[in-house]
Amino acid sequence: MIKTIASRVWAFFKSFQLTIVLLALLMGLIVACTLAQVEMGTQGAVNAYMRSFIVWHQFSFLTFQVPTFPGGALVGLLLTINLIAKTMDIKLIWPRAGMWLIHVGLVVLFAGEFVAGMMQVDTNMSIEVGQTVNFVQSYKNAELALIDVTDPTWDEVYSVPDTQLARGGAIAIPGTPITLNVKKFYPNAQLSNLPPGAPPSMATVGVGAGVSIIEQPLVSADNDMNQTSAFVEPVAGGRSYGVWLASVALGAPQSFTHEGRTYLLTMRLRRQYLPYAFTLKQFRHDVYPGTDIPKNFSSLVQVVNPSQKESREVLIYMNQPLRYAGKTFYQASFGKNDTLSVLSVVENPGWLLPYVSCVLVSVGLLVHFAIVLRRSLKRRQDKKEG
Amino acid sequence: MLKPPTSPHRPIHALLKTPLILGLGLLGLAIGCRSDQVSHYRVPKEAAVTHPDHPGHADEAMPMPGSMPAGQEPAANVPPPPTPKGALKWTLPKGWSELPGGGMRFATFKAPFAGKLEATVVVLPGPAGGELANVNRWRGQIGLPALDEAGLAKARTIVKAKAGTVNVYDFTSDGQAKSRMVAASIATPDGNTWFLKLNGDADPVAKARPDFMTILGSVRLD
Repeated sequence: MIKTIASRVWAFFKSFQLTIVLLALLMGLIVACTLAQVEMGTQGAVNAYMRSFIVWHQFSFLTFQVPTFPGGALVGLLLTINLIAKTMDIKLIWPRAGMWLIHVGLVVLFAGEFVAGMMQVDTNMSIEVGQTVNFVQSYKNAELALIDVTDPTWDEVYSVPDTQLARGGAIAIPGTPITLNVKKFYPNAQLSNLPPGAPPSMATVGVGAGVSIIEQPLVSADNDMNQTSAFVEPVAGGRSYGVWLASVALGAPQSFTHEGRTYLLTMRLRRQYLPYAFTLKQFRHDVYPGTDIPKNFSSLVQVVNPSQKESREVLIYMNQPLRYAGKTFYQASFGKNDTLSVLSVVENPGWLLPYVSCVLVSVGLLVHFAIVLRRSLKRRQDKKEG
Repeated sequence: MLKPPTSPHRPIHALLKTPLILGLGLLGLAIGCRSDQVSHYRVPKEAAVTHPDHPGHADEAMPMPGSMPAGQEPAANVPPPPTPKGALKWTLPKGWSELPGGGMRFATFKAPFAGKLEATVVVLPGPAGGELANVNRWRGQIGLPALDEAGLAKARTIVKAKAGTVNVYDFTSDGQAKSRMVAASIATPDGNTWFLKLNGDADPVAKARPDFMTILGSVRLD
């Protein structure tokens, strides 16, 4: 009985019909994802359609989201199982070596997409000409940074990610006597000056005391930014330093002093500090003569890595990224009258997998062709002899 | 005659076991490695805090060209800011006009000069972080290093107005295409600090500066 069910399941997973259905679903997903990018932005649409197991949709007449389509992750997973099942059906013999290589190459390609979906980190680095930057920052995620600025040469940065702020409660900052009590967290909010007669702000100190805050739905479009905000109360040594409003919409610096140490409190895009730094020496934005049509964007950066005793110039330009220390830096954008360069930074531990896959599939095709050719020549030879 | 292929009959399932286990391990690692804990870094002091892609900053409104996240214009549904108790008034020179603010911005001035140029008014409660920190933040916005207290005093110009003393700073960037910022702050008796800023490309800012200084000289309490 169990054997029958297992063999049926196996037959289902290795069926060619399943491949066709899954490929059709994938095509549908690609079209829907492309159209959704208009509203949701590239990353938002890719996350919702391609990197999710189920595509959820919010109908206007319902208060909750409903599953409407299998997501790219589910279709990809089933396709991978389908491919593995098919591969296992191929006899492990030399005449089938090419087929094996091709199938394994495709499995590696699918695995590469899963690794990218789960482990790829997309950040960016904005540098102005002459500026030295030693961090990359997230496009969308925020962090509450508590910065001990007491030392004249160093800053001690304690970063609380927005995901932890969202859980609320008390967050002890290791290495400091400070605990941050998260009173309220807003993934996105609209800030304005507090109108006269309005109920007082939750903030008791700092700029936030005069600010009114209204929660907003999250945005994911490429040009939109969530104004992540939170009311937090630093407590140290049994003493409260009041409730502060920290928001990416607030530029004004806010600080408090505890036992002679001064702490800045700021909400900002999440940073990842690097053990090396880039200095932008020159940014070029060349256009075709007599037009505004861009011809070339390039950033000449000085890469300084003290741990490797390395200091060298690198030119990053369109389609010529810099691969360095597990990250790839692409020329992505520019601003401030061509004095600001924006590098898109991608960290994907599986970046080699598509290349490995291409090699496997290419070699597989060649091997298969050689085997078939040999067999056909032999057959012709046999015919002649016979 | 073709010889029938002979299979070595190796156990295929055993062959696939290793990559399968490796794959599952990788998946587990990917899920387990997602950190959302407090992290600590010891970093050299920044020359200045820059927020080149923070479009929502109350007193930063230099929209960037290219495919950068665009400067966020006040949305249509954002109510204009309320008038603070001791609101400032000013007289605009000929050709200048005032647009209502939105969000954290109190007002925006439209200057009659071509080129990239913006004049804004932001009011914040209290000292809003202090003069030195704000001046260094502005300097950071145009890529200049931070000043210390002595440097701040040297850079400061005083304008006497009916509303009180206006501290004015004028900075020009060192970049290929120079950016310039004329920024002023004044504290009002109700405890608020008002920030009036003129920023943009160096040339149009230079043209608009005399008028902007006239505006600063005209500020008075309502």
